[in-house]
Amino acid sequence: MAPGAPHLVVRQVSKRFGAAHVLDRVDLTIARGELVTLLGPSGCGKTTLLRLIAGLESPDAGSVELAGRDITRVPPHRRNVGVVFQSYALFPHLTVYGNVAFGLKSRGRSRGEIDAAVGRALSLVHLEHLGARRIAALSGGQQQRVALARAIAVEPDVLLFDEALSALDRKLREEMQVELRRLLREVGATAIFVTHDQDEALTMSDRVAVMFAGRIEQVDEPRIVYARPATLFTLGFVGLSTRVSGIVAGSNNGRVEVDTAVGRLSAIGNFLIGSPVVVAVRPEHVRAAPETAGNCVAGRVRSIVFHGSNSLVEVDAGAATTLLAQIPNDVSAPPRVGDEIRLCWPVAETFAFPMPEAGA
Amino acid sequence: MTHAAAQAPAGKIVDRDRSAALAFLAPSLLFLLVAFVTPLILLLGVSLAGPSGLSLDAYGKLLGTGYYLTVIWNSLRLALLTTIFALAIAYPAAFALARARGMVRTALLTCLFLPLAASVIVKAFAWTILLRSDGIVNRILVGLGLIEAPIRMIFTETALIVGSVNIFLPFMILPIYAVVTQLDRRLSEAAATLGAPPIAAFLKVTLPLTLPGIIAGVALVFSLSVSAYVVPTLLIGERYPTLASTIAKAYLLARDPQFGAAAGVALLVIALIVVTLSARLAGRENSR
Repeated sequence: MAPGAPHLVVRQVSKRFGAAHVLDRVDLTIARGELVTLLGPSGCGKTTLLRLIAGLESPDAGSVELAGRDITRVPPHRRNVGVVFQSYALFPHLTVYGNVAFGLKSRGRSRGEIDAAVGRALSLVHLEHLGARRIAALSGGQQQRVALARAIAVEPDVLLFDEALSALDRKLREEMQVELRRLLREVGATAIFVTHDQDEALTMSDRVAVMFAGRIEQVDEPRIVYARPATLFTLGFVGLSTRVSGIVAGSNNGRVEVDTAVGRLSAIGNFLIGSPVVVAVRPEHVRAAPETAGNCVAGRVRSIVFHGSNSLVEVDAGAATTLLAQIPNDVSAPPRVGDEIRLCWPVAETFAFPMPEAGA
Repeated sequence: MTHAAAQAPAGKIVDRDRSAALAFLAPSLLFLLVAFVTPLILLLGVSLAGPSGLSLDAYGKLLGTGYYLTVIWNSLRLALLTTIFALAIAYPAAFALARARGMVRTALLTCLFLPLAASVIVKAFAWTILLRSDGIVNRILVGLGLIEAPIRMIFTETALIVGSVNIFLPFMILPIYAVVTQLDRRLSEAAATLGAPPIAAFLKVTLPLTLPGIIAGVALVFSLSVSAYVVPTLLIGERYPTLASTIAKAYLLARDPQFGAAAGVALLVIALIVVTLSARLAGRENSR
């Protein structure tokens, strides 16, 4: 749910580099105080979209509005945005204080104001004691915090993070995700994160915009993106899934019967009879149980990957089809490799997507 | 540096590093001692050796005669003007070079390095051919009707500075280029997003970060052009006596080694001042 009125509006923005369409008529609306992630594989246009919002690229078509002002043709230094770069881009010839004060000095603030604002920003990131330190004398995590403090200090209309956490090691990254989210909430910032890391996207944001080939495939709350992916791409990019292709044999009230290589499956969806579709299910809905309701497929266990409280079981269902099932490890007789197994899952958790055209 | 102590927890390691460094440096130090320091001491000795023992006469003549003060000023003026114009051309050129990609970059680098392979005498003569009254430049200007008669270009200070800048330019471009290639382009973008207009971003970020390259290039070009001999001799000649030509004349024509040596020492002192100053500046830049 978007709290408040539109704060950042990207309207029909297109951008090409040479012959390549990097962004293709992208629309995105973000409310004040919202944390939104642009998620997608490299080359999907997410960084270009971020740079367009920052003013570091200009769109070939479309417009960008920020805080009620059309900034499409406004140069970056008059936009009031804060950017945290992947490489941090801290000024190596300045101290921590000098870096954080840079934006305030550019805005011609008084010395007292600058001191106070730098102090506030540094204490937000717990670096108030390192103001005099040189950048080269900081650890990667500390540099990350300085970059954040520098961007926050000017109280920008929107904070933009370009893969800002990807340079940190995993443990530090996970800590920073939680801390960053808390901190951004605390200062009421509107922020956009660019990442290819789905965990980061699901953890950090109020909404996730999944991007592919220059287009936004879906913008929704993380749980909806995961549980109700709008496109086959989103399904495949966020989380694990089993996918089986088939032909629609029956259609009734938002439910379709699909003939596949592993038998007839029921799924949610509206398709004409005879349409080629892909039927999909998340592994956590697949159970090794003697249920009779829903979709059931038999097969042989090919591999088991232990994940603590559950195991990811790969089942060969024949006809070149592999099913993924996430089986809780509390069952008395866990499946073993080579076992014959019958897997069932509810129809309500079975999606049907139109078959992508050849080559796509 | 306060953090130097923190970085060297064990004194022994530093000692061993230092003696290893000394061992690696030994051959070059020995060579410099024989080929450079000894002649310098001899030079200093000769400059102080009058016909009847120790004398400062040569230095008195150099610093006490209006003509020779003009000579010193000529050398300084040539070096200053060459350095200023070379810097003005080299700074943007270094950025163009660093931003260029692929074939363009290779071509530009070749253009930069190839002239270094040609002798300075060849290059200076080339300029005299271009600039003399029946030279190509005059012929083109007359042919285009821009001037009615050939104008005097060779043996003017303009010709001298043009030739000198051309010959010493690579020594300004290369150190600046080396620094610019290390420059993260995101830094200017960061400055822009923090509200700095392009000029402010340049003055506060790009310029300070490229200053070490500027300092190195200025030191190189200044010390090369202050002691240049061939370039002023061929491009302007007698009208513009310099310290270098004075040294040559003292040794070759006047047979006055004491005065020649004194002029040599003066040149050395100028070069030392420039190099020391720039090392200081660069050091301060690095420790900020």
